[in-house]
Amino acid sequence: MKLEQRHWVFLGLFILITLVMLIKVRPDISVSNQTRKMYAYIDSLPSGSILLISFDHEASSLPEIRPLAQAVLSHAFEKGHRLIGMALFAEGTAIGYRMMQDVAAQYGRNPGTDFVYLGFKPQFIAAILAMGESFEQTFPEDYLGNPYRSHELLTTVSNYDDIAAMISIADGSLTTHWIEYAGSRYNLTVLGAVTAAMVTTYDPYLASGQMTCMVGGLRGAAEYESLLGIEGGGSRGMLAQTASHLYIILLVVIGNVIYFRSRRGSK
Amino acid sequence: MDRKVALGVCFTFGLIMFAQYFSRHPLASQVNQAVLAYWQIIFAFALVVGIVSFARNSINDIKRKKERPYRLISLAGMTAMPLLAVIWGIRADSPFMWMFENVQAPLQSTVFALLAFFVASASFRGFRAKSWPAIILLSSATIILLSRSAVGGVISEYLPAVADWIRNNPSMAARRAILIGIGLGSLTTSLRVVLGIERTWLGGGKG
Repeated sequence: MKLEQRHWVFLGLFILITLVMLIKVRPDISVSNQTRKMYAYIDSLPSGSILLISFDHEASSLPEIRPLAQAVLSHAFEKGHRLIGMALFAEGTAIGYRMMQDVAAQYGRNPGTDFVYLGFKPQFIAAILAMGESFEQTFPEDYLGNPYRSHELLTTVSNYDDIAAMISIADGSLTTHWIEYAGSRYNLTVLGAVTAAMVTTYDPYLASGQMTCMVGGLRGAAEYESLLGIEGGGSRGMLAQTASHLYIILLVVIGNVIYFRSRRGSK
Repeated sequence: MDRKVALGVCFTFGLIMFAQYFSRHPLASQVNQAVLAYWQIIFAFALVVGIVSFARNSINDIKRKKERPYRLISLAGMTAMPLLAVIWGIRADSPFMWMFENVQAPLQSTVFALLAFFVASASFRGFRAKSWPAIILLSSATIILLSRSAVGGVISEYLPAVADWIRNNPSMAARRAILIGIGLGSLTTSLRVVLGIERTWLGGGKG
């Protein structure tokens, strides 16, 4: 097989990322105001506040979503908040359950009293609206099939009125539905932990105050980890992300140099 | 006659759901709950239609020897996962979860990761500073890319601020315009459907 130009580009990126992943260097990064705001908000809630965490993502975005989710969950558990987990994407259900279990175990939190995982509910708009009326009717059982009322944490939770805030961990536009239905109709405070590609989608909601705060992308995860003083997937992946961004910029420059030289030659 | 019934149901429920949104009365809440429950059931039927359609198309393609290996794998996956879920459940240590975590999740991550390679190739071949708008787009993209990496603040202390300005002004203005357009479009389409002007969901035409 004859290697074409694009194959060399692919090979270059592959070699670069592989080499960078082998280097154990953690670059220093400055923390953005947006990440500080998210950190400060979760920090400012009284210990024991109930937060709803919705894993609104697919498996494809795990490399970016996992560090983000783990950082936010770590902070919430560290502060002693009580978490209710759920998913509006079927694929996020198992991932969210595992993540919540793992992070809770790290901080010695107990299921039933410190956190509960309700599982997946199809039809996200219907689910969001239904939870505004009654959590119990929307999720009669938790993810493991235990009755809603069997959990001490859930005995005080009827609907969004009993929730301090919700955090949508998303790789798509599902957070919009939380803002539009739970936020607008039921006055629920909506926070976001979203992939970098989705950050600009939520900027207008952030500016208008419909979304309280947001942390975005692998960089956001790395910033959050630095605020928490822990080392996670965010800081580990930053060097690879930096290298790939620089590689793409270099390719753009080379592509343009070739283009302008060929144009000058044709004149 | 059938169409009139469907249009009547659409109009009635459209009106009810619109009105109950503005009410905090317990009756409105009950109506909302009941309609949402029916909504879930209707979508379950839509899923059945999708599965049957996918299976029929795949089987037809297999008979015609068109993309046979892919179709077989798709059908095997679509059959195996529900079977595993029904037989052993979807708990943390079930075979379903093993398949999800060790087959589906890595496959999806791999496909998503391929985007990085395509972006790299596309940036080399297509991102040309041919005109002033292209130069502005190129410069903005470079600034945003650098700001989202670890070297943004190292190159210049102003770079993150410039990136924030791009996001909070031109980018947000464009995004808001798109959102307002989508909102108005959705509103218009919904009104047309509820009022029976838009009938393509019934198969089009009048009657």
